[in-house]
Amino acid sequence: MNLSLTAAFYIVLSAIITNNYVLSKFLGICPFLGVSKKLDNAMGMSVAVIIVMVVATAVTWPIQHYLLDPRGIGYMQTIVFILVIAALVQLIEIFLKKYIPGLHKALGIYLPLITTNCAVLGVCVLNIDNEFSFVQSLLNSFGSGVGFMLAMFLFAGVRSKIETNDYPESFKGIASTLVAASITSLCFLGFSGMLEKIFGM
Amino acid sequence: MADMHKDLIVSAAPHVVSPADTASIMRDVVIALIPALAVSTYVFGFGAIFLTAVCVIACVFFEWAARKILKRENTIGDWSAIVTGVILAFNLPVNIPKWMAVVGCFIAIVVVKQLFGGLGQNFANPAIVGRITLFIGFATPMTNWVITDRMSQAIINYSGPDAVAGATPLAINAAGGQLPSNLEMFLGTINGSMGEVSTVALLIGGIYLVIRKVISPAIPVSFLATVAVLSLVMGFDPIFQLCAGGVMLGAIFMATDYVTSPITTPGRIIFGIGCGVFTMLIRSYASYPEGVSFAILLMNILTPHIDRITRSKLNGVAKGGAKA
Amino acid sequence: MKKSKLSILTNGIIRENPVLVLVLGTCPTLAISTQAINGIGMGLSVLVVLTCSNIIISALKRIIPDTVRIPCYIVVIATFVTIVQLFLKAYVPALDKALGVYIPLIVVNCIILGRAEAFASKNSVIDSALDGIGMGIGYTLTATVMACIRELLGSGTIFGATVTAGTITPFTIMVMAPGGFFVFGCLIALVNKLTKGRVRAKRQNKCMGCPGAAFCSKVEEGGCEE
Repeated sequence: MNLSLTAAFYIVLSAIITNNYVLSKFLGICPFLGVSKKLDNAMGMSVAVIIVMVVATAVTWPIQHYLLDPRGIGYMQTIVFILVIAALVQLIEIFLKKYIPGLHKALGIYLPLITTNCAVLGVCVLNIDNEFSFVQSLLNSFGSGVGFMLAMFLFAGVRSKIETNDYPESFKGIASTLVAASITSLCFLGFSGMLEKIFGM
Repeated sequence: MADMHKDLIVSAAPHVVSPADTASIMRDVVIALIPALAVSTYVFGFGAIFLTAVCVIACVFFEWAARKILKRENTIGDWSAIVTGVILAFNLPVNIPKWMAVVGCFIAIVVVKQLFGGLGQNFANPAIVGRITLFIGFATPMTNWVITDRMSQAIINYSGPDAVAGATPLAINAAGGQLPSNLEMFLGTINGSMGEVSTVALLIGGIYLVIRKVISPAIPVSFLATVAVLSLVMGFDPIFQLCAGGVMLGAIFMATDYVTSPITTPGRIIFGIGCGVFTMLIRSYASYPEGVSFAILLMNILTPHIDRITRSKLNGVAKGGAKA
Repeated sequence: MKKSKLSILTNGIIRENPVLVLVLGTCPTLAISTQAINGIGMGLSVLVVLTCSNIIISALKRIIPDTVRIPCYIVVIATFVTIVQLFLKAYVPALDKALGVYIPLIVVNCIILGRAEAFASKNSVIDSALDGIGMGIGYTLTATVMACIRELLGSGTIFGATVTAGTITPFTIMVMAPGGFFVFGCLIALVNKLTKGRVRAKRQNKCMGCPGAAFCSKVEEGGCEE
């Protein structure tokens, strides 16, 4: 588990920028479209996603490697992971309610939504598929969560600007939101190859 | 917005009071682009004028057709489609297949502008998005640079005397080849996107716009200064970095778009610095040799946030002071 | 009010098309619609999971306690996803590779959980099966059409067969992320146009398209955003 600082930065930054979960892998599109209207909501949702992603990875990675794989039942991954995530979300909610009620009040409504946020299950599965070590997995999950937050942050700004626009009848609502997302996702393409060069990968 | 003064008209940026004002501003922009077109015609031949004409006609047609189909007021009289057409043409290689240029015009006018409600309601600069989509979508034709005998000997030599396609100074720089002199870079006897080659011509246009008070110098100055400073820090030649690629065209004509850049001067300076930083990051590290358009698009997207932060400090002052 | 069997079946194909009308299952649709064959593969996988889970959930609707129904639904759905996953791995490994992580992610595809909650938990087994098949066909058709458009424009082929490639330079951005968002937006606009805005009005419920709509307490309050 020798992980240099550069390699660690590389994993986190590439999950944020070049492999952005929302804008290049299309994971977590529902909250990206649904909860990005107001910046506060977008940020609340993102913080909750980051927390759940990291905690879920910390739990699912050992389960896969020490519980499922040694018994030859790696294929149970999907069922086990989704149940673990659902249970975790419940636990985090109870924990926050009891010990950090302020945070619970802020994030409370987003937590139940996260169980079915495909970015969370996605990051847990992809960590296994990519054969990341435990530390690498945690870094990747953290980066992915921050990447989700970045996409939400950018898009919340865009939406605040175009909310009151006088759209053509057919493009009112979600259709124009998708076109706006299309333009937003363009700018992430400009960074391709950048991290590889900076970190000499 | 509830505390808006009643005597101010509440409308989307750029707070244009009447179409005539937009038209006169846009006319000034077109005038400011003429020196660059002249140099491009000298360097590339009449193909430069032809490409510009194709883009202008396509943009005006799409503007007219979109408004017609949507049963909205005809807006081709505000000259904005003409400006978009000229600027988009300036962002393309001179020998690009013309139908691709028309696709770019469609994206710029219809997708980026009219789908969002028309001028003043788009969140990204139409010409920038048109350029980026073509650049990514038609990667090979968009980087097919012609060589003419009017160009710097360094450019001609780099590709060999019989070559039809050459490399831009930025690409030559990345490959470590012999670069044109800084004077040639400044005058524009180099290849690249059609209208971006001549630094001096674009600067003349920029000075004209500043004198006519069409643009504020905040964005171009902070953008260019950031590029220069970062070049020094990173050990590059700042003159070369400023003259190469689309920095001048972007800083003077695309980053200054009222609709998609911040309203306050502090906001504009942040915007310009951001453009410069991302341009240099992409130029130095990303797979693409040039990052101006990506940098401006990213800052376009960040503009609502910049406005939110800077406007809260200058509440009320900035809003009315925006360009009319 | 008793609906005819046929109308239950066709409901998901047109009137309540899960992707274009209900705007559910957006992520996999956007991600895999770069090639027509992926659209069909993903569509059929969703169809199988949706139909099977609808049947089981409908059959068990009196046994599953209301308070833990969502975890129960998830277990049922995840089981069928695993079966489909193993089947694809064994018989069509190329497709399994192309769809990658999006196969296990069918578990959290809101179409399936949404239909379990909105239909299967309230209707008979036969009706639920028909609903699953109809919704599945609706999903498959939409994903395939969208993939055909993107493949044709972005690669110049359809189902891998050359159409315009070689004569017209493909507009590769269409098979990249921005092209996905754009084509999807245009298809929804087209539906709005064809239905003269009726569908858009129906979509006004803010929780429509939200992954948690099936079990979020805020649905009754009109959504979590003001």
